[in-house]
Amino acid sequence: MNSYIKLNNVSLDFPLYEGLDLSFRNKITNFGKLGIMKTRSNLERKIVRGLDSINLDIKKGDKIAIIGPNGSGKTTLLKLLAGIYTPTDGKIDVFGKVSSMIDLGFGFVDDATGYENIILSKVIRGESIKDKKSIMQTAHDFTGLDEYLDLPMRTYSSGMKSRLALASALFSIPDILLIDEFFSTGDLEFSKKSRNKITEIMDNSSIMLFASHDLELIKKLCTKAIYMKNGKISYYGEIEKAREIYEKDFS
Amino acid sequence: MSILRNNSAILDLVYSVKNYYSWSYLAYFDLKLKYRKTYLGPWWVVVGMAISAGVLCLLWSTIFNLDWKNFLLYLFSGFIIWTWIISIVNDGPEIFSGSALLIKTYPTPPIFYVFRKSYLNLLLFLHHLPLIFILLIIMQPEINPRVILTLPLSIFLIFINSVLYSATIGIISARYRDVEPTIKALMAPMLLLTPVLWKPEMLGEYINYIYINPFTYFIGIVRNDLIGDKFDIYVWYGAIIITILQLLLFLIVYSAKRNRIVFWV
Repeated sequence: MNSYIKLNNVSLDFPLYEGLDLSFRNKITNFGKLGIMKTRSNLERKIVRGLDSINLDIKKGDKIAIIGPNGSGKTTLLKLLAGIYTPTDGKIDVFGKVSSMIDLGFGFVDDATGYENIILSKVIRGESIKDKKSIMQTAHDFTGLDEYLDLPMRTYSSGMKSRLALASALFSIPDILLIDEFFSTGDLEFSKKSRNKITEIMDNSSIMLFASHDLELIKKLCTKAIYMKNGKISYYGEIEKAREIYEKDFS
Repeated sequence: MSILRNNSAILDLVYSVKNYYSWSYLAYFDLKLKYRKTYLGPWWVVVGMAISAGVLCLLWSTIFNLDWKNFLLYLFSGFIIWTWIISIVNDGPEIFSGSALLIKTYPTPPIFYVFRKSYLNLLLFLHHLPLIFILLIIMQPEINPRVILTLPLSIFLIFINSVLYSATIGIISARYRDVEPTIKALMAPMLLLTPVLWKPEMLGEYINYIYINPFTYFIGIVRNDLIGDKFDIYVWYGAIIITILQLLLFLIVYSAKRNRIVFWV
């Protein structure tokens, strides 16, 4: 399958609702004032532009790193591609089975066991759980948590939780893979193991976007880079060039 | 997973119906988790219900001096259906804000979480249903065989309404936070205004006022045939009209605001 991603002038606004703006009473008083007088809601309503006029053309085989400072829109872009956000303006066209590793472990239930959480997260992702045995075996082999997987997750340390979170996302090989940075989690041995597994999935997926600050890792895994700044794509092309611009901006 | 980048209520509904296994599994799991550490498990719900309905029966038959045998079944069944309805109405406003983390993490259509919650509430109701069956066996009222058709149909109709209502009110109250307390405040006296604790005949000449209350219809479609009360075609008309109105409202609100939910929760 020839998967692709095309973004044409895509922008995304986040409405910020504060205090009175969420109240219905305010809406009614606003209506009563016939919009002539400025209400407090008009004054308080803020909009933050998360992504600004993004144009992208990504083809099969592209392994792209997304770099940029915190708050530059890296995760927002990934969430837009994952289908969690829809653009305020512009056109988005994504073809291929998408799998995302963003905010891993969200939706885990503390009282459920490790195995149950793995199954739950697959169900929420809409994936099949028919072959429970093999899912559980993979989780067992990958996490190395052994008998802990039968215990409720509230007994886990944060390192163990992140192993589980990573394992929950790692089973299927998608056409388009979206990854937010998370390699820093877990102890060293596990990191090596997870790197190997993720590298395998990355190699087999036809498109990958990977938001990260780890330049060494990026060079190993990616072929191109996007440098994002203030919700815009500042540069898209060679990794070395993107890194240069990024460092120049912040030196 | 196929991702739906759309604003279409219909496509989201189709997705959810296709993935019925997922939300029913999640709802079943929610239920299992809830009672994991208890001995009686889900049957605690039944015990609780039996106690409150029993006390009500005793109280009412004493106060109103009613033939308690006749009243017991009416009150019990009405109360059990009411419990289902009130949990739907009260859970509705929190449906999206309660799943905020998941909505912000996965591209699953928001209505998926509505099905999950609606199904959980249905499962709880189905737990209570055997209580009515036990009473029916004891009391042995005359029952029309039509109930084999009307019981599943009425339960299905309430489930559909539960999905449509929760999705619509869930969106509105995610945007306007006053909606949830308003609904809870309005629902508090609603039990007294619905023919659950009393029979419509007790209203005398005011009997027709019960049809102003939408809950009358939904209680009626399940209860009338189930306990061998007289068949009332108007409660069915009413329930069907309300379902159509809810569907229209859902299509309008959900199609317009589906993509905003992620920003509001």
